[in-house]
Amino acid sequence: MAESATMIRVAFVGKGGAGKSTIAGTFARLLARRGQPVLALDSDPMPGLPYALGVSVDDQPIPDDVVVPGPEGGPRWVLRPDLDAVAIVDRYAARCPDGVRYLQFGNLWGSAVKLQQAQHAWSQVVAELDRDRWHLVGDLPGGTRQAMFGWARYADSVCVVVEPTVKSLHTAARLLRLSQAKWGPSNLVLVVNKARDRADADRISERLGVRPAAVVPHDPDASQADRRGAAPLDAAPDGAVAHAVDALVDQVASLYSLDEEVAR
Amino acid sequence: MNDEAATVVADLEAGIGTLTRLDAASVDATVVVVEPTLRSIDVARRAVAVADEQRQGRVVVVANKVADGGDRARIEEAFGDRVLVVVPEDPAVDAADRLGVSPIDHASSAPAVEALESLAEALGLVSE
Repeated sequence: MAESATMIRVAFVGKGGAGKSTIAGTFARLLARRGQPVLALDSDPMPGLPYALGVSVDDQPIPDDVVVPGPEGGPRWVLRPDLDAVAIVDRYAARCPDGVRYLQFGNLWGSAVKLQQAQHAWSQVVAELDRDRWHLVGDLPGGTRQAMFGWARYADSVCVVVEPTVKSLHTAARLLRLSQAKWGPSNLVLVVNKARDRADADRISERLGVRPAAVVPHDPDASQADRRGAAPLDAAPDGAVAHAVDALVDQVASLYSLDEEVAR
Repeated sequence: MNDEAATVVADLEAGIGTLTRLDAASVDATVVVVEPTLRSIDVARRAVAVADEQRQGRVVVVANKVADGGDRARIEEAFGDRVLVVVPEDPAVDAADRLGVSPIDHASSAPAVEALESLAEALGLVSE
Protein backbone atom coordinates (compact mmCIF):
# COMPACT_ATOMS: atom_id res chain seq x y z
CA MET A 1 0.00 0.00 0.00
CA ALA A 2 1.28 3.44 -0.81
CA GLU A 3 1.99 5.38 2.40
CA SER A 4 -0.15 8.15 1.03
CA ALA A 5 -3.25 6.03 0.30
CA THR A 6 -6.23 8.16 1.15
CA MET A 7 -8.96 5.59 0.71
CA ILE A 8 -9.37 2.50 2.88
CA ARG A 9 -9.48 -0.86 1.15
CA VAL A 10 -10.28 -3.49 3.72
CA ALA A 11 -11.60 -7.06 3.48
CA PHE A 12 -13.02 -9.24 6.26
CA VAL A 13 -12.15 -12.95 6.46
CA GLY A 14 -12.57 -15.71 9.04
CA LYS A 15 -14.31 -18.98 9.78
CA GLY A 16 -18.05 -19.22 9.09
CA GLY A 17 -20.05 -17.84 12.00
CA ALA A 18 -17.16 -15.73 13.34
CA GLY A 19 -19.07 -12.55 12.51
CA LYS A 20 -17.34 -11.25 9.37
CA SER A 21 -20.50 -9.99 7.69
CA THR A 22 -21.85 -8.41 10.86
CA ILE A 23 -18.63 -6.52 11.46
CA ALA A 24 -18.02 -5.66 7.78
CA GLY A 25 -21.54 -4.26 7.32
CA THR A 26 -21.32 -2.24 10.53
CA PHE A 27 -17.84 -1.01 9.61
CA ALA A 28 -19.05 0.15 6.18
CA ARG A 29 -21.97 2.10 7.65
CA LEU A 30 -19.93 3.70 10.43
CA LEU A 31 -17.29 4.81 7.93
CA ALA A 32 -20.02 6.24 5.69
CA ARG A 33 -21.38 8.16 8.69
CA ARG A 34 -18.07 10.01 8.77
CA GLY A 35 -19.10 11.54 5.47
CA GLN A 36 -17.15 9.13 3.30
CA PRO A 37 -18.09 7.36 0.05
CA VAL A 38 -18.17 3.65 0.88
CA LEU A 39 -18.62 0.73 -1.48
CA ALA A 40 -19.31 -2.61 0.21
CA LEU A 41 -18.10 -5.59 -1.81
CA ASP A 42 -19.53 -9.06 -1.34
CA SER A 43 -18.09 -12.22 -2.88
CA ASP A 44 -20.11 -14.67 -0.80
CA PRO A 45 -22.73 -16.48 -2.91
CA MET A 46 -24.79 -16.94 0.26
CA PRO A 47 -26.56 -13.89 1.70
CA GLY A 48 -24.94 -12.47 4.85
CA LEU A 49 -23.75 -8.92 4.27
CA PRO A 50 -27.14 -7.47 3.20
CA TYR A 51 -28.57 -8.29 6.62
CA ALA A 52 -25.73 -6.43 8.35
CA LEU A 53 -26.04 -3.47 6.00
CA GLY A 54 -29.80 -3.30 6.47
CA VAL A 55 -30.74 -3.84 2.83
CA SER A 56 -32.90 -6.54 1.29
CA VAL A 57 -31.46 -9.67 -0.32
CA ASP A 58 -31.25 -9.52 -4.11
CA ASP A 59 -30.23 -12.78 -5.78
CA GLN A 60 -29.22 -11.37 -9.14
CA PRO A 61 -28.41 -7.65 -9.02
CA ILE A 62 -26.04 -7.66 -12.03
CA PRO A 63 -27.79 -8.86 -15.21
CA ASP A 64 -26.01 -11.31 -17.50
CA ASP A 65 -26.08 -8.95 -20.47
CA VAL A 66 -23.47 -6.57 -19.01
CA VAL A 67 -20.78 -8.92 -20.33
CA VAL A 68 -19.75 -10.31 -23.69
CA PRO A 69 -17.43 -13.26 -24.40
CA GLY A 70 -13.82 -12.34 -23.65
CA PRO A 71 -10.88 -12.55 -26.04
CA GLU A 72 -9.20 -15.88 -26.67
CA GLY A 73 -6.78 -16.68 -23.87
CA GLY A 74 -8.37 -14.04 -21.63
CA PRO A 75 -11.27 -14.13 -19.16
CA ARG A 76 -14.36 -15.99 -20.36
CA TRP A 77 -16.53 -12.88 -19.98
CA VAL A 78 -15.64 -9.19 -20.07
CA LEU A 79 -17.70 -6.02 -19.63
CA ARG A 80 -19.45 -4.74 -22.75
CA PRO A 81 -17.39 -2.00 -24.43
CA ASP A 82 -20.02 0.63 -23.54
CA LEU A 83 -19.78 -0.18 -19.81
CA ASP A 84 -17.06 0.42 -17.26
CA ALA A 85 -16.60 0.04 -13.49
CA VAL A 86 -18.21 3.43 -12.76
CA ALA A 87 -21.29 2.60 -14.83
CA ILE A 88 -21.75 -0.80 -13.19
CA VAL A 89 -21.51 0.63 -9.67
CA ASP A 90 -23.82 3.45 -10.63
CA ARG A 91 -26.49 1.13 -12.05
CA TYR A 92 -26.22 -2.06 -10.03
CA ALA A 93 -24.73 -1.29 -6.60
CA ALA A 94 -27.63 -1.25 -4.11
CA ARG A 95 -28.27 1.88 -2.06
CA CYS A 96 -28.03 1.10 1.65
CA PRO A 97 -28.64 3.07 4.87
CA ASP A 98 -26.06 5.78 5.64
CA GLY A 99 -25.28 6.12 1.93
CA VAL A 100 -23.27 2.91 1.57
CA ARG A 101 -23.36 1.40 -1.91
CA TYR A 102 -23.30 -2.40 -2.10
CA LEU A 103 -21.99 -4.44 -5.01
CA GLN A 104 -22.41 -8.19 -5.04
CA PHE A 105 -22.55 -10.73 -7.83
CA GLY A 106 -25.58 -12.43 -6.38
CA ASN A 107 -26.78 -15.40 -4.39
CA LEU A 108 -27.18 -18.99 -5.49
CA TRP A 109 -30.11 -21.35 -5.39
CA GLY A 110 -28.22 -24.01 -7.30
CA SER A 111 -25.24 -24.49 -9.57
CA ALA A 112 -22.62 -21.71 -9.58
CA VAL A 113 -22.83 -21.63 -13.39
CA LYS A 114 -25.91 -19.43 -13.05
CA LEU A 115 -23.87 -16.56 -11.61
CA GLN A 116 -20.83 -16.93 -13.81
CA GLN A 117 -21.41 -13.85 -15.96
CA ALA A 118 -22.26 -11.61 -13.00
CA GLN A 119 -19.21 -12.93 -11.18
CA HIS A 120 -16.88 -12.05 -14.07
CA ALA A 121 -18.42 -8.59 -14.28
CA TRP A 122 -17.99 -8.10 -10.52
CA SER A 123 -14.34 -9.18 -10.60
CA GLN A 124 -13.53 -6.85 -13.49
CA VAL A 125 -15.26 -3.92 -11.82
CA VAL A 126 -13.41 -4.50 -8.55
CA ALA A 127 -10.07 -4.72 -10.36
CA GLU A 128 -10.72 -1.53 -12.32
CA LEU A 129 -12.22 0.68 -9.61
CA ASP A 130 -10.57 4.05 -9.29
CA ARG A 131 -8.42 4.06 -6.15
CA ASP A 132 -9.57 7.59 -5.19
CA ARG A 133 -13.32 7.19 -5.67
CA TRP A 134 -14.46 4.82 -2.93
CA HIS A 135 -13.43 3.33 0.35
CA LEU A 136 -13.85 -0.43 -0.18
CA VAL A 137 -15.16 -2.72 2.55
CA GLY A 138 -15.25 -6.35 1.46
CA ASP A 139 -16.81 -9.50 2.90
CA LEU A 140 -15.58 -12.96 1.88
CA PRO A 141 -17.30 -16.32 2.48
CA GLY A 142 -16.27 -18.22 5.60
CA GLY A 143 -13.10 -20.30 5.54
CA THR A 144 -9.79 -19.92 3.79
CA ARG A 145 -10.49 -20.88 0.19
CA GLN A 146 -11.45 -17.55 -1.44
CA ALA A 147 -8.91 -15.66 0.64
CA MET A 148 -6.07 -17.97 -0.41
CA PHE A 149 -7.10 -17.73 -4.07
CA GLY A 150 -6.70 -13.96 -3.98
CA TRP A 151 -10.34 -12.85 -3.89
CA ALA A 152 -9.36 -10.07 -1.50
CA ARG A 153 -6.52 -8.78 -3.66
CA TYR A 154 -8.33 -5.45 -3.97
CA ALA A 155 -7.70 -4.91 -0.24
CA ASP A 156 -4.49 -3.63 1.24
CA SER A 157 -5.82 -4.31 4.74
CA VAL A 158 -7.34 -7.64 5.71
CA CYS A 159 -9.23 -8.08 8.99
CA VAL A 160 -9.15 -11.64 10.30
CA VAL A 161 -12.23 -12.09 12.48
CA VAL A 162 -12.01 -14.76 15.16
CA GLU A 163 -14.39 -15.92 17.86
CA PRO A 164 -13.14 -17.67 21.00
CA THR A 165 -13.57 -21.25 19.78
CA VAL A 166 -10.75 -23.59 18.88
CA LYS A 167 -12.13 -24.14 15.35
CA SER A 168 -12.25 -20.41 14.68
CA LEU A 169 -8.68 -20.03 16.00
CA HIS A 170 -7.40 -22.71 13.60
CA THR A 171 -8.88 -20.87 10.62
CA ALA A 172 -7.58 -17.52 11.86
CA ALA A 173 -4.07 -18.95 12.24
CA ARG A 174 -4.13 -19.99 8.58
CA LEU A 175 -5.56 -16.68 7.44
CA LEU A 176 -2.86 -14.78 9.29
CA ARG A 177 -0.41 -16.40 6.87
CA LEU A 178 -2.02 -14.43 4.04
CA SER A 179 0.81 -11.93 4.31
CA GLN A 180 2.97 -14.58 2.63
CA ALA A 181 0.63 -14.79 -0.37
CA LYS A 182 1.80 -13.33 -3.67
CA TRP A 183 -0.85 -10.59 -3.48
CA GLY A 184 -0.48 -10.40 0.32
CA PRO A 185 -2.10 -7.38 1.98
CA SER A 186 0.10 -4.71 3.58
CA ASN A 187 -1.85 -4.86 6.82
CA LEU A 188 -3.24 -7.91 8.59
CA VAL A 189 -5.51 -6.93 11.44
CA LEU A 190 -6.90 -9.30 14.07
CA VAL A 191 -10.44 -8.70 15.33
CA VAL A 192 -11.74 -10.74 18.25
CA ASN A 193 -15.52 -11.14 18.16
CA LYS A 194 -18.00 -12.45 20.74
CA ALA A 195 -15.50 -12.02 23.58
CA ARG A 196 -17.17 -12.72 26.94
CA ASP A 197 -14.37 -11.11 28.90
CA ARG A 198 -10.87 -9.72 28.58
CA ALA A 199 -9.45 -13.20 29.20
CA ASP A 200 -11.05 -14.41 25.95
CA ALA A 201 -9.18 -11.78 23.97
CA ASP A 202 -5.94 -12.38 25.86
CA ARG A 203 -6.11 -16.12 25.23
CA ILE A 204 -6.63 -15.62 21.50
CA SER A 205 -3.88 -13.04 21.34
CA GLU A 206 -1.49 -15.42 23.06
CA ARG A 207 -2.41 -18.38 20.85
CA LEU A 208 -2.06 -16.42 17.62
CA GLY A 209 0.85 -14.25 18.66
CA VAL A 210 -0.97 -11.15 17.45
CA ARG A 211 -2.56 -8.35 19.44
CA PRO A 212 -6.15 -7.65 18.38
CA ALA A 213 -6.89 -4.26 16.85
CA ALA A 214 -10.41 -4.46 18.25
CA VAL A 215 -12.34 -6.65 20.66
CA VAL A 216 -16.07 -6.89 19.96
CA PRO A 217 -17.90 -8.14 23.04
CA HIS A 218 -20.43 -10.97 23.10
CA ASP A 219 -23.76 -9.19 23.17
CA PRO A 220 -27.05 -11.04 23.76
CA ASP A 221 -28.91 -8.11 22.14
CA ALA A 222 -26.88 -8.65 18.97
CA SER A 223 -27.92 -12.33 18.94
CA GLN A 224 -31.55 -11.27 19.14
CA ALA A 225 -31.06 -8.81 16.28
CA ASP A 226 -29.46 -11.61 14.27
CA ARG A 227 -32.54 -13.74 14.79
CA ARG A 228 -34.71 -11.01 13.34
CA GLY A 229 -32.27 -10.34 10.52
CA ALA A 230 -31.85 -6.77 11.73
CA ALA A 231 -28.62 -4.84 11.17
CA PRO A 232 -26.74 -4.34 14.45
CA LEU A 233 -26.65 -0.59 13.87
CA ASP A 234 -30.43 -0.44 13.48
CA ALA A 235 -31.18 -2.78 16.38
CA ALA A 236 -28.75 -1.17 18.82
CA PRO A 237 -27.28 2.05 17.43
CA ASP A 238 -25.52 2.75 20.71
CA GLY A 239 -24.76 -0.86 21.59
CA ALA A 240 -21.51 -2.56 22.48
CA VAL A 241 -21.01 -3.93 18.96
CA ALA A 242 -21.41 -0.49 17.36
CA HIS A 243 -18.91 1.05 19.77
CA ALA A 244 -16.32 -1.68 19.28
CA VAL A 245 -16.60 -1.53 15.48
CA ASP A 246 -16.33 2.27 15.56
CA ALA A 247 -13.04 1.82 17.41
CA LEU A 248 -11.99 -0.61 14.68
CA VAL A 249 -12.74 2.03 12.04
CA ASP A 250 -10.34 4.32 13.94
CA GLN A 251 -7.68 1.63 14.00
CA VAL A 252 -7.93 0.81 10.31
CA ALA A 253 -8.17 4.49 9.36
CA SER A 254 -4.92 5.12 11.23
CA LEU A 255 -3.16 2.92 8.66
CA TYR A 256 -4.05 5.42 5.92
CA SER A 257 -3.46 9.10 5.24
CA LEU A 258 -6.99 10.26 5.91
CA ASP A 259 -8.35 13.63 6.88
CA GLU A 260 -8.31 14.15 10.62
CA GLU A 261 -12.08 14.29 10.71
CA VAL A 262 -12.36 10.84 9.18
CA ALA A 263 -9.54 9.29 11.13
CA ARG A 264 -10.70 10.95 14.37
CA MET B 1 -18.07 -47.80 -0.82
CA ASN B 2 -18.83 -51.49 -1.06
CA ASP B 3 -19.22 -52.24 2.60
CA GLU B 4 -22.95 -51.98 3.06
CA ALA B 5 -22.65 -52.25 6.83
CA ALA B 6 -20.79 -48.94 7.02
CA THR B 7 -22.42 -45.58 7.60
CA VAL B 8 -20.62 -42.63 6.06
CA VAL B 9 -21.18 -39.24 7.68
CA ALA B 10 -19.90 -36.27 5.68
CA ASP B 11 -19.67 -32.74 7.01
CA LEU B 12 -19.84 -30.33 4.08
CA GLU B 13 -18.52 -26.82 3.76
CA ALA B 14 -20.75 -23.94 4.88
CA GLY B 15 -23.17 -22.69 2.24
CA ILE B 16 -24.26 -24.83 -0.70
CA GLY B 17 -21.06 -24.94 -2.80
CA THR B 18 -20.11 -28.56 -2.08
CA LEU B 19 -23.72 -29.67 -2.27
CA THR B 20 -24.09 -28.27 -5.80
CA ARG B 21 -20.99 -30.18 -6.91
CA LEU B 22 -22.05 -33.59 -5.57
CA ASP B 23 -23.17 -36.09 -8.19
CA ALA B 24 -26.95 -36.46 -8.20
CA ALA B 25 -28.33 -39.06 -5.81
CA SER B 26 -24.98 -39.54 -4.00
CA VAL B 27 -26.35 -39.93 -0.50
CA ASP B 28 -29.23 -41.59 1.33
CA ALA B 29 -30.06 -38.53 3.38
CA THR B 30 -29.17 -34.85 3.53
CA VAL B 31 -29.35 -33.15 6.91
CA VAL B 32 -29.64 -29.37 6.64
CA VAL B 33 -28.64 -27.68 9.90
CA VAL B 34 -30.24 -24.34 10.57
CA GLU B 35 -30.09 -21.85 13.42
CA PRO B 36 -32.97 -19.51 14.17
CA THR B 37 -31.65 -16.43 12.40
CA LEU B 38 -33.23 -15.03 9.27
CA ARG B 39 -29.91 -15.33 7.47
CA SER B 40 -29.42 -19.00 8.39
CA ILE B 41 -33.01 -19.80 7.39
CA ASP B 42 -32.41 -18.11 4.02
CA VAL B 43 -29.29 -20.22 3.34
CA ALA B 44 -30.99 -23.41 4.58
CA ARG B 45 -33.90 -22.86 2.18
CA ARG B 46 -31.41 -22.79 -0.66
CA ALA B 47 -29.70 -25.96 0.61
CA VAL B 48 -33.02 -27.80 0.84
CA ALA B 49 -33.92 -26.73 -2.71
CA VAL B 50 -30.58 -27.91 -4.13
CA ALA B 51 -30.68 -31.21 -2.25
CA ASP B 52 -34.23 -31.85 -3.48
CA GLU B 53 -33.37 -30.93 -7.04
CA GLN B 54 -30.31 -33.20 -6.99
CA ARG B 55 -32.30 -36.05 -5.38
CA GLN B 56 -29.89 -36.28 -2.44
CA GLY B 57 -31.97 -38.83 -0.53
CA ARG B 58 -34.31 -37.83 2.23
CA VAL B 59 -33.82 -34.13 2.91
CA VAL B 60 -34.40 -33.19 6.54
CA VAL B 61 -33.75 -30.21 8.77
CA VAL B 62 -32.11 -30.06 12.21
CA ALA B 63 -33.03 -26.89 14.09
CA ASN B 64 -29.98 -25.93 16.15
CA LYS B 65 -29.43 -23.40 18.97
CA VAL B 66 -33.15 -23.15 19.65
CA ALA B 67 -33.62 -20.96 22.73
CA ASP B 68 -37.40 -20.70 22.97
CA GLY B 69 -40.76 -21.34 21.36
CA GLY B 70 -40.32 -18.36 19.05
CA ASP B 71 -37.11 -19.82 17.65
CA ARG B 72 -38.78 -23.15 17.08
CA ALA B 73 -41.82 -21.59 15.45
CA ARG B 74 -39.65 -19.53 13.08
CA ILE B 75 -37.87 -22.63 11.83
CA GLU B 76 -40.97 -24.82 11.67
CA GLU B 77 -42.78 -22.14 9.72
CA ALA B 78 -40.00 -22.22 7.13
CA PHE B 79 -39.51 -25.98 6.90
CA GLY B 80 -42.66 -27.64 8.27
CA ASP B 81 -42.48 -31.41 8.57
CA ARG B 82 -38.90 -31.56 7.42
CA VAL B 83 -37.78 -30.50 10.90
CA LEU B 84 -36.73 -33.82 12.37
CA VAL B 85 -34.85 -32.81 15.50
CA VAL B 86 -34.81 -29.64 17.59
CA VAL B 87 -31.50 -29.05 19.40
CA PRO B 88 -31.69 -26.56 22.26
CA GLU B 89 -29.21 -23.77 22.78
CA ASP B 90 -26.86 -25.32 25.29
CA PRO B 91 -24.01 -23.71 27.25
CA ALA B 92 -22.30 -27.12 27.37
CA VAL B 93 -21.85 -27.02 23.58
CA ASP B 94 -20.43 -23.49 23.76
CA ALA B 95 -18.03 -24.61 26.48
CA ALA B 96 -16.92 -27.63 24.40
CA ASP B 97 -16.38 -25.37 21.37
CA ARG B 98 -14.21 -23.05 23.38
CA LEU B 99 -12.17 -25.98 24.69
CA GLY B 100 -11.94 -27.61 21.27
CA VAL B 101 -13.41 -30.90 22.44
CA SER B 102 -16.35 -32.93 21.20
CA PRO B 103 -19.60 -32.06 22.97
CA ILE B 104 -20.29 -35.77 23.53
CA ASP B 105 -16.97 -36.12 25.37
CA HIS B 106 -17.39 -32.89 27.26
CA ALA B 107 -20.95 -33.42 28.46
CA SER B 108 -22.55 -36.61 27.18
CA SER B 109 -25.84 -35.93 28.95
CA ALA B 110 -26.14 -32.28 27.90
CA PRO B 111 -29.58 -31.49 26.42
CA ALA B 112 -28.10 -30.73 22.98
CA VAL B 113 -26.24 -34.04 22.86
CA GLU B 114 -29.32 -35.95 23.96
CA ALA B 115 -31.41 -34.25 21.32
CA LEU B 116 -29.00 -35.42 18.65
CA GLU B 117 -29.15 -39.00 19.84
CA SER B 118 -32.57 -39.23 18.29
CA LEU B 119 -31.34 -38.10 14.87
CA ALA B 120 -29.82 -41.38 13.71
CA GLU B 121 -32.95 -43.21 14.76
CA ALA B 122 -35.24 -40.68 13.11
CA LEU B 123 -33.27 -41.05 9.90
CA GLY B 124 -33.73 -44.81 10.05
CA LEU B 125 -29.99 -45.40 10.25
CA VAL B 126 -30.22 -47.46 13.41
CA SER B 127 -32.91 -49.92 14.36
CA GLU B 128 -33.35 -48.74 17.94
